[in-house]
Amino acid sequence: MLVSLAWKNIWRNKSRSLVVVLAIAFGLWGGLFSDGLMIGMGESMVNTAIDRDLAHIQIHRPDYDETKGIHRYIPNGLSLADSVRRMPHVIGVSARTRFTGIASSATSSYPVQITGIIPEQEKKVTRLYKRIVSGTYFASKHKNAIVIGQKLAKRLRLRLHSKIVLGFEGAHGELINIACRVIGIYHSGSSRFDESNVFLKQNYLSGVLGGRTFIHEIAIRCQKSAFVKPITAKLKARYPKLLVQSWQERDPMVAFTSSLMIEYSYFFLVFILLAVLFGITNTMLMSVVDRIRELGMLMAIGMKQSRIFVMILLESMFLSLSGGFAGIVLGVLTIALTKHHGIDLSVFRASLESFGASAIIYPTLPLEMYISLTVFIVLTANIAGILPALKAIHLQPAEAIRSV
Amino acid sequence: MYINLSWRNIWRNKKRTLIAVASVFFAVIIAVSTRSMQLGSYAYMIKSTAHFYTGFLQIQQKGYWDNQSLDYTMDADSINYQTVASVAHVTAVAPRLESFALLSYGKTTRVGQVIGIDPIKENRATNLKSRLVKGRYLNPEDRAVLISQGLAKMLNISVGDSLILYGQAYQGQIAAGLLPVQGIVKYPVSELNNTMVYLPLPVAQELYLTGNRLTSLAVMIDAERHLDFVKSHLTAVIPPHYTVLDWKAMLPDLHESIQFDNVSGKIMLAILYVVIAFGVFGTIIMMMNERKREFGILISIGMKKIRLIFVTFYEILFISFIGALSGILGAIPIVWYFSLHPIHMSGPAAQVYDMLGIEPIFCFSTNPYIFLNQALVVFIIALVTFAYPLFFLRRLQPSTAIRS
Amino acid sequence: MKIQIKQIRFFFLLIFILLTVAPSFADQKATDIVRASENKMRGKSSVSVATLQVVRPKWSRSITMKIWALEPDYALILITKPARDKGTVTLKRKREVWNWIPSIRRMIKIPPSMMLQPWMGSDFTNDDLVRESSVVSDYTHTIIGRDTIQGYTCYKIRFDPKPEAGVVWGKIIAWISVKDLLQLKADYFDEDGRLIKTMTGSKIKKLGGRLLPSRWVILPHNKPGHKTIFEYHSIRFNVKLKPSFFSQQNMKRLH
Repeated sequence: MLVSLAWKNIWRNKSRSLVVVLAIAFGLWGGLFSDGLMIGMGESMVNTAIDRDLAHIQIHRPDYDETKGIHRYIPNGLSLADSVRRMPHVIGVSARTRFTGIASSATSSYPVQITGIIPEQEKKVTRLYKRIVSGTYFASKHKNAIVIGQKLAKRLRLRLHSKIVLGFEGAHGELINIACRVIGIYHSGSSRFDESNVFLKQNYLSGVLGGRTFIHEIAIRCQKSAFVKPITAKLKARYPKLLVQSWQERDPMVAFTSSLMIEYSYFFLVFILLAVLFGITNTMLMSVVDRIRELGMLMAIGMKQSRIFVMILLESMFLSLSGGFAGIVLGVLTIALTKHHGIDLSVFRASLESFGASAIIYPTLPLEMYISLTVFIVLTANIAGILPALKAIHLQPAEAIRSV
Repeated sequence: MYINLSWRNIWRNKKRTLIAVASVFFAVIIAVSTRSMQLGSYAYMIKSTAHFYTGFLQIQQKGYWDNQSLDYTMDADSINYQTVASVAHVTAVAPRLESFALLSYGKTTRVGQVIGIDPIKENRATNLKSRLVKGRYLNPEDRAVLISQGLAKMLNISVGDSLILYGQAYQGQIAAGLLPVQGIVKYPVSELNNTMVYLPLPVAQELYLTGNRLTSLAVMIDAERHLDFVKSHLTAVIPPHYTVLDWKAMLPDLHESIQFDNVSGKIMLAILYVVIAFGVFGTIIMMMNERKREFGILISIGMKKIRLIFVTFYEILFISFIGALSGILGAIPIVWYFSLHPIHMSGPAAQVYDMLGIEPIFCFSTNPYIFLNQALVVFIIALVTFAYPLFFLRRLQPSTAIRS
Repeated sequence: MKIQIKQIRFFFLLIFILLTVAPSFADQKATDIVRASENKMRGKSSVSVATLQVVRPKWSRSITMKIWALEPDYALILITKPARDKGTVTLKRKREVWNWIPSIRRMIKIPPSMMLQPWMGSDFTNDDLVRESSVVSDYTHTIIGRDTIQGYTCYKIRFDPKPEAGVVWGKIIAWISVKDLLQLKADYFDEDGRLIKTMTGSKIKKLGGRLLPSRWVILPHNKPGHKTIFEYHSIRFNVKLKPSFFSQQNMKRLH
């Protein structure tokens, strides 16, 4: 009975209750959506890094990173790549020849990372081929075709069809200089990456290195991000002498920024809930102050204080739950709607891209967040109702009746 | 006259007024706290990164930053160290002579960054001494080097061994030196950990044959918000062919990511404002409805509607003003407390902060502008809610109002 | 005399053949000229004394050195002046470069990442020292005219890089004197036809029994105030030198 009374009480003053419910609904919806946006941005950053070059998992010789020199190659790299390719839930493996060298043009030179790839394999692992702004991604007959970043092209004053000379140490410590033809220029969004990464056909590079194919890096793409951890564990067990790293281990900064987003979004939600809390408390207080006479009368005719307390509490709970429900529904709907097409934040394209995200963000929200949110709302409602309810039971019935 | 009336009106119903003021009060506190945390985090990131190595500002000769060559060094006597150090808000000034060199020990050779420092001043600026993990720190009269851990490992060199430094000196001459390793310093960031060699300034100047010259003066300040002030004052006290670079130019990646974060931060703040607005709005609605009868009577005894509108406007003005002012006063102790006792992070984000050698905390900013800005915004929001009373009063029918 | 149709046809055929064959003759001739000119400058082996002068907007520096060379793979360069750098030795063995620094009594191998760094602060890089003299093998050559440089009549020869050659230039135009095959001037262009640097040879004198330009000036066009001047004081060709001479141990013993 108390329950229905509480419910009816709320709707007695329609406009007031509606405002509160809407406030809560909007606050929650706003909070959920912006969180979804933030997490989407974090994911976008992660995905951008993975798609650009990082891939899901990488395998190296443990001493490779020290010098990134040609001699630190994975023994039997090609057959290893083949066996990884046959693993379940692995959709792409690229066995890369990768070492450092110097790129020169007639005007200047710059240190770069030289990568020899099989384009068809690499396409299954990364999406850099989609970021070509000029020319093609190896749709060329030139054996010495090279794909370079836009920033490097600018630095060395190169264009499509320009000649670029790469200098590096060969297999026997000798210095090798090869001329390559720029057939594609890419813009990945990270100017640092663009400036220092060049890609060649692996078989050409092998030929230049005396006919041997050296594999320094094996990059793996899994079917879904959920498979990354288990597959990494499997690979670590299978190849204990090699350095197997998930993308988080390989590039902790990327993981850092995205997890930071998630921390912030939780915090932000707290702030919103605080704002909502005060909103409810205010409303309930007002409502109690308004109904001084009525409440006084109830107490005078014998209604126990505890029951009034519970009634007020219930009222605030109903308000919050209605608003909360509406907010969650709105949030779920908007996120579901925008999830597929994404939100176009081209306005912020420059800063987004430099930060590693793309201009189109796909909001997403993990299930745990919805659940924790419901818990928070109920909690908030109870806390919000306490003060007004206390106020209500401390009324003196006689005085209350007589007040206006 | 309206002002008098509205002022008295407010205090007639203390409880109601207090509740309305409270909604503005809490709104300001929440808005200030949110923004303070956002700005505090940025300032913290900047400070931590600046303290690694670059400093907040650097005084250099014009052209040095783009060319990074010893041809652009400054005469140490041309800058009055005391004058620079005594600019307000400057906490430390560290003179440096930097260049790169080949570092060799035994059969291994690596390229590294060689930095001549004033050990005492450098420590005050970047806490270099605290990074020492082996051996002894440098004294100004020492003829020895500190080497970063990663580099020491690569060269297989330890404390007591002699390091060869070889490279390009000033004006085309050769820099060649053999110096003992006195200590090993550790950086959590591998870029720094794998490249740094420190030596006392006079030794570096002798090595690079520059005489008493510097490549830069790194400047530390007490808080990021004083950056522009310090920059302009520094520019005023240095010779015209020198320039002052700030961290934004030296750390463009950080600058971009903060700008990006700031944008999303502002979006979130906007959502918060709307929630707040609803809260305040609700309070005003309740106020209006509750006084319906009173308004009806006033109008029927002859008060012109327009006057009533004015009076109500002033009431809202007062409420908003009091609420905003008290909100500022209330927010001060909160922000103050958290700025001295930052909230600790946990989870994956904390781990990554740890990895970077930065303490994982949420910092709060005590910049007074935050208080003023946020209070102003909330104040304006509160004023805007006047739209409802306006609408309400205009529609009011005295006859129906009295009977409610 | 009546000219027969058959003769006319034969005549035209001859001209036609000559015209198609002539260019390749010209190419071959051009390449021969270049090769001969290069060979003049170098011997199988040589010992020379030279001064390198680096000119920059704000300063300039001079180094005097003694050079032992066994083409194409070996060279030893000993610095004799100024006093600070006296005794510094650079060793080139095939594609590796080593430096001996007497002031610290240490040997350093120049890693690949430093190969594009200036040698002794000049406009030459370490890489320039080790690169095989590729002007003959990395380019095809064509005589495109004749000019007069410094009073000498010269072949004007265009060097076009072969497709696989690891050279940055789009083309080089060189002037080699008809008499004595002296390299008097070379213009280096990028692939867009921009003139990047010019090398000139002058002060022709008898060095090691051969008539050669003794003074070389390299002028980069994109860096105002920069210049590198290399001057030979003496050269002895075909000296008895063995590969074993070019060793790290020997670096320390030179004077």
